[in-house]
Amino acid sequence: MAVNAIDQTRRMLSLVTYLRERPGAHVSDVARAFGITEDELISDLDVLPMCGTSFRGGDLLDIDTDGDRIWWHNPDDVAEPLRLAADEATALLVAARAVATLPGLRESDRQALLRATAKLEAAAGEAAGASSRLSVTFESEGGVFADVDRAISERRRLWLRYYSPARDELTEREVDPIRLFAVGHTYMEAWCRLSEARRTFRLDRVAEIKLLDAPAAPPELELRDLSAGLVQPSADDPEVVVEVGPGGRWVAEYYPHDSAEELPDGGLRITLRTPAPASLRRLALRLGRDGRITAPRDLAENARRAAREALAAYDSDDAQRQH
Amino acid sequence: MAIAKAERLMNLALCLLGTRRPLSKRELRESIEAYLEAGSDDSFNRMFERDKDDLRELGLVIETVENLDGETGYLARRDSNRLPAITLDAEEAAALGLAAKVWQQARLAGAASGALQKLRAAGMPEAEDSYEAHHSALEPRIPVHEAAFEPLMLACRDRRPVVFDYRKANAAKPEQRQVEPWTLECWRGHWYLAGWDRERRAERVFRLSRISGRVRSRSGAFTAPVPDVVTVRETVETWAGETATRSALIRLRSDCGYPLRARAVSSRELGDGWDELEIPYGHGLDAWLVEFGPDVVVLEPADLRADVVDRLRAVARA
Repeated sequence: MAVNAIDQTRRMLSLVTYLRERPGAHVSDVARAFGITEDELISDLDVLPMCGTSFRGGDLLDIDTDGDRIWWHNPDDVAEPLRLAADEATALLVAARAVATLPGLRESDRQALLRATAKLEAAAGEAAGASSRLSVTFESEGGVFADVDRAISERRRLWLRYYSPARDELTEREVDPIRLFAVGHTYMEAWCRLSEARRTFRLDRVAEIKLLDAPAAPPELELRDLSAGLVQPSADDPEVVVEVGPGGRWVAEYYPHDSAEELPDGGLRITLRTPAPASLRRLALRLGRDGRITAPRDLAENARRAAREALAAYDSDDAQRQH
Repeated sequence: MAIAKAERLMNLALCLLGTRRPLSKRELRESIEAYLEAGSDDSFNRMFERDKDDLRELGLVIETVENLDGETGYLARRDSNRLPAITLDAEEAAALGLAAKVWQQARLAGAASGALQKLRAAGMPEAEDSYEAHHSALEPRIPVHEAAFEPLMLACRDRRPVVFDYRKANAAKPEQRQVEPWTLECWRGHWYLAGWDRERRAERVFRLSRISGRVRSRSGAFTAPVPDVVTVRETVETWAGETATRSALIRLRSDCGYPLRARAVSSRELGDGWDELEIPYGHGLDAWLVEFGPDVVVLEPADLRADVVDRLRAVARA
């Protein structure tokens, strides 16, 4: 089991303080209060009896458990609540400030967060100082957000007019919302009744939204693990190869890819997979002289055709202007 | 088996917190089993110094005091290590619980839960099970994919100059930059650093994903004053073309280009399946308009029209 010694030490110091006030505490309650598994708690309880509170040993912590309840037989006053470290204050304050700016947050939650932030700043003292060196802004898609949030809590269906950049079109659909999350932008995960599948919608692409009276009935689904990234192409998706010059290296920053091979001119050969390669026509057009799609061939040809068609429109426009 | 590091750190912390008088290194070595087993003086000394640094990272204030014999002693005074009284109600506790979950970066996620645990030990009420039922359904997450994040976060915190290789958006090769880092900001899911560029003698904003290789610390202090307010976001907005100074006139096929329509200052129908729109013209508009291929024709200004035609020619020739 990989255990981070720093995190475990930090937790054990708080644990002794916590246990002193609660003789006979239940393992399950303590694990929940500390946001850890019961196994993690038990491994902490295995270490604590090896630790002493005073110089020259002898006074080891007499803490034991029968797996259900925890007893500390010689509680010591060394166990006082400890001040916050700079990183701890920063992690909590920066997150609290960022969440408080979320436009769709309920007002009562925002007020609670602002009160907690002020108290925390006061209690952290100097340790709070460094927290101003880190900040996070979430995107603001306020109006849409409030409707989605309400639909989730009232378990109601939503009607959307949604913009798909891949096809450059607006589509209308009914969805059963599952969850709202913010990773840079704010997204809704929902069961789409049009495609009969789970879909992720970016709220700034919702052109119009209506709360319906019909109840939402999404199928039972396991929530996706967001830490793995939003776009998770499948191994069966077709492969696209994009060759970019130095000016197109940003493609590797924006598109999750399988590989990015350095080219001698300072460019990259990027291989990625996508369920709908046609959607990358936009990318090919955007790249201009900074890069081109080399595979699949029909996608590359599609982009060239679009460019020629557009140029023809400029030519006839120029001809008309000269008349 | 070697004694686990967490056990050693815990013992050192409890000894330093428990003592009323400074303890010398010798005394600490005698009272902590892991140090007795450390072997040579050298390896004990290294271990002890590292452990002391680790405990300081955890927020412990450890004082160094010299006694009459000139021997150095250590202690962690109770009053300088005690959390000041803080009373949070159940709602405030629940709100902080939500906030603590946003970090997707190991160090900050660990620090945030460590902070909650300290507050919990100090009596912060526990969230009721029904919390999720009446609170916002939102799950905010702060992504941190950039390897440069952690070293830069520490450098900002400790005000340490750094050096790193940075590739500008259009540059073929990275260049070394000497920077006094001020703040890190996350916007639209990407991290940016603002700081003083020593060679350019000016404030600069860097995108973390364009830093390649390791971020190395430099000794010495900052040479330029740190401003009270750093405007990372405004700079990035300019890059992203959000600060338009002019406007452009385009022809757009009906039912196409919703995002262009959403930004339009004005629009009118031309008939024959085309509309005319006036849209804000900022940095990057040419590349964006080309994405719409034959569904957009730029009418004015002439320089934008020429840029778009230029880009289209490059694609047609590719």
